[in-house]
Amino acid sequence: MRSRNLLALAAVGVLVVGAAACGSSSSSSTTSSSGKKVGGTISGAGATFPQPVYDEWGNRFKSKTGTTVNYNPIGSGGGIAQFTAGTVDFGATDSAMKDSEVAAAKKKGDPVHVPTVFGAITVSYNVSGLAKGLKLDGATIANIFLGKIKKWNDPAIKTLNPSMSLPSTAITVVHRSDASGTTKLFTTFLQDSSPTWAKQVGSDKTVKWPTGTGAAKNAGVAAAVKQTDGAVGYVEQAYALQNNFTTADVKNKAGQYVAPTLASTTAAGQGLTVPSDLRFSAINKSTNPQAYPIASATFLLVYKDQCKAGKSQQTAQLVVNWLNYGLTDGQQVAPELQYAPLPANVLAPAKAAVAGLVCNGTPLKPNA
Amino acid sequence: MEAGGFTAPGGRRSALQRPSGARLPDIILQWGVTLLSAAILVLIAYFFLKLIQESTTVFDRFGVLGFTFDNDWDVARSVFGALPLVVGTLITSAIALLIGVPVAVATALYITELCPRRFRSPLTIVVELLAAVPSVVYGLWAFIVIIPFLKPAEQWFADTFSFIPFVGGQVAGPNYFIAGLVLAIMILPIVSAITREVMSTVPPDHKEAALALGATRWEMIRTAILPYSRAGISGAAMLGLGRAIGETIAVTIVIGNAPNIGHSIFSQGYTLAAVIANEFGEAASNPLHRSALIAAGLVLFVLTLLVNLIARFYVVRAERGPRTPRMIAPGMGQ
Amino acid sequence: MNGTPGSVLPPVAPRRRRTDRIMRLVLGSATVLAIVPLVLVIFYLLQKGLGSWSINFFTTDPSGKFFGDPGGVKSAILGTIEMVALATLIAVPIGIGVAIYLVEYGKRGRFAQVVRYFVDVMTGVPSIVFGLFIYITLVLAGTGGTAFAGWKGSAALALLMLPIVTRAGEVVLSLVPDSLREAALALGAPRWRVVFRIVLPTALPGLITGMLLAVARAAGETAPLIFTATIVKGTSLDLNGPMNSLPAQIFSDVGQAQDRLVARAWGAALTLVLMILMLTTLARVVSRRSRLI
Repeated sequence: MRSRNLLALAAVGVLVVGAAACGSSSSSSTTSSSGKKVGGTISGAGATFPQPVYDEWGNRFKSKTGTTVNYNPIGSGGGIAQFTAGTVDFGATDSAMKDSEVAAAKKKGDPVHVPTVFGAITVSYNVSGLAKGLKLDGATIANIFLGKIKKWNDPAIKTLNPSMSLPSTAITVVHRSDASGTTKLFTTFLQDSSPTWAKQVGSDKTVKWPTGTGAAKNAGVAAAVKQTDGAVGYVEQAYALQNNFTTADVKNKAGQYVAPTLASTTAAGQGLTVPSDLRFSAINKSTNPQAYPIASATFLLVYKDQCKAGKSQQTAQLVVNWLNYGLTDGQQVAPELQYAPLPANVLAPAKAAVAGLVCNGTPLKPNA
Repeated sequence: MEAGGFTAPGGRRSALQRPSGARLPDIILQWGVTLLSAAILVLIAYFFLKLIQESTTVFDRFGVLGFTFDNDWDVARSVFGALPLVVGTLITSAIALLIGVPVAVATALYITELCPRRFRSPLTIVVELLAAVPSVVYGLWAFIVIIPFLKPAEQWFADTFSFIPFVGGQVAGPNYFIAGLVLAIMILPIVSAITREVMSTVPPDHKEAALALGATRWEMIRTAILPYSRAGISGAAMLGLGRAIGETIAVTIVIGNAPNIGHSIFSQGYTLAAVIANEFGEAASNPLHRSALIAAGLVLFVLTLLVNLIARFYVVRAERGPRTPRMIAPGMGQ
Repeated sequence: MNGTPGSVLPPVAPRRRRTDRIMRLVLGSATVLAIVPLVLVIFYLLQKGLGSWSINFFTTDPSGKFFGDPGGVKSAILGTIEMVALATLIAVPIGIGVAIYLVEYGKRGRFAQVVRYFVDVMTGVPSIVFGLFIYITLVLAGTGGTAFAGWKGSAALALLMLPIVTRAGEVVLSLVPDSLREAALALGAPRWRVVFRIVLPTALPGLITGMLLAVARAAGETAPLIFTATIVKGTSLDLNGPMNSLPAQIFSDVGQAQDRLVARAWGAALTLVLMILMLTTLARVVSRRSRLI
């Protein structure tokens, strides 16, 4: 008698799960706009810097081709690690792989860096009484993050902003606590602008921050800045826009104070020379007077021969479709989120890199 | 007595005798569950061994003591000294015990001794409900509600009492204290439940004797219940400690995740469990880093093992009761 | 005697009476203090969580859209149900099997004592260590063709549930009176029949209680899942691929700056807490129907 009840309970449980199964299997059929529907799922992980644009690309790619892209934003360090370990189909990082990281990845094959978009790292602050457009140069920002400048009305800041009223609030520095490409890019800028920073802290995906509180991911830093009056942190442009942050105008190589905008991010990518393996950073490189200095490209990582690295033919094909989408349709979508499309002299080698991807020696062409 | 093995006198088949083939299901069942239990043992042993095996990489590099007691957890430079993590784990657990155990014992006392009978059951259920809230929800609530709410109070406390060591200086949003507070809330149900169990083993004679001698309720508690339950309460506290040491998600949300030993209880810190949760993603392809995280897991495992052993020793002793009577009146008994 | 008429005891000194009153107040306040967090959590859950609940919330997946509608938590709810169901299917038969061994066959034997001890050890292991173990043995090794997979999440949860089910099972099975067993044996029933037709059915409410409590515990766990099933957005029924879950979704939404995401976290948290509360209440109701406890 009782065992019968138990069986009934189990049957109900199975039915529930089964109903759920039937209920959700319809989620992949969507009205198609154009292109073939190939379906399938691929997964990637990495940088939070481009997460907004990759998520938007993912949504549109799915309506176009039916392929689901699961992107897990765990930071560039995580992206490189998961890519190397083969637990994801593609990785994502803002900071190009170091030689040691490339060597580790070589066990599975040649890693290929595919730059996708340019983004700007804003110096966002949340200080009541401080208007937007605070002018800061690299050396001053470095001193703030070194903990040498402790209050918002410090003379160093005053010198750069003689006509702005500065409150006497204490500065709370917010930085990343996880291994981040955004950190690498930001600290590259600080290192370039401040010999003290270069000597004391250096530049990497994780550094020993002299001061401040840590938060994980771009989103976490944004949340921490939002929560604390007097806070300053470095977050990608899209996050600053999403939260209506006030951002600083940063002094570029040409001596101009530039705000982070789509135009200034695009300008930062002009006139760059990129190496053949596409491992580059655009931080503080452009001499264009309209260029925002803390802007650079972000990369997707994929093995040249995906199948030899352990992926199936179908997965490899879907990844190539995805990369191709990013470098074609995706480039038109990026500006909607204030990410700059790749300049021509970066887009061409990027497309060539994607065209060179193979599966067990056979070239892969996008088919959706 | 196993049916079926009995032969009636006269050699006739007994009514109870079964064909030998009927033994089979019995044998299958017995062997089945025995093998299952053996398999579980093998699994646990493999689990332990695997943790040790994967940790050897980092132990070879830094030594077991070096790994556990060096104060330098620097992923970028591939230096893994887990002292900030161990200290963070101990600090947050200590705060959890300091806040949680007295409240849990007080709650247990109130429920068993002082509150009106009809409230006993609802109150017990309410305290147990604290255990039903998942860790991540506590983390969410503490992060959104408690941290901003307590920050001014913490800053006031830090400023007013800055002469006390480890108090004072800038108060960070997420910090050791908040983590300890959340842990205290999480261990409340378990410490309270076990304390109640232990207190229910106090012989009613002791309690009634105290009351008969004119003790007030509180004095009865103080003289009859608390001394008797001391061992059990220690055991309960140790079990709570074990829980606090291993708690990951709630802690990682509210501790700030800074791999340093903070100079005050209001600084950001890190714990063994939190570092594993945060860094495993990055460590996937770096054998040394991965080994370091697994070693952190091993240290965590050993810590909880030790604490639980001590706990069980106390709780078992408490439930058994003192073996010798405390006082023997002259001439009475042996 | 100078006490009140009818009393044989001297009156209590005012100081002692005061201490008694103060300590009663202290103990009462401490109890209230203990309940305050629960009340606050439930209050916030209801206030902020109910606000996010809508048909949309339960029927759409997290969209991942940065500026637009963040979507609901459908994939998280389904993922939790699937993974916990699979974990239960693994842990419960094994747990009850081990419990049967310990009570019916092993009893005080050496081997049984060892098994009992190790199961006890397992109860103390932090859930993150289980997650880590599955991560290094199954995920990094890519067992089954994919790295992150729902079934691996279930494996980690099953490890967590196993000692709970075994312990509870052992307690309940040993409460079945031996007289029942002996009566059945005396009537000629073979051992296996005694176990399956007498012992288990008698202990069933207790076993179900233990199972429900283990399920409630597993449903709320985050750490084992972030290592094994990871966090994804879309609904997937493929247990051999990454799968979303409520705790993981909440964890992912917690540190976000965007208010809508935090609001979604509250809604998901309310859903999760309600699921767990239903399970624990059910466990309590079932245990009350037991003839043994």
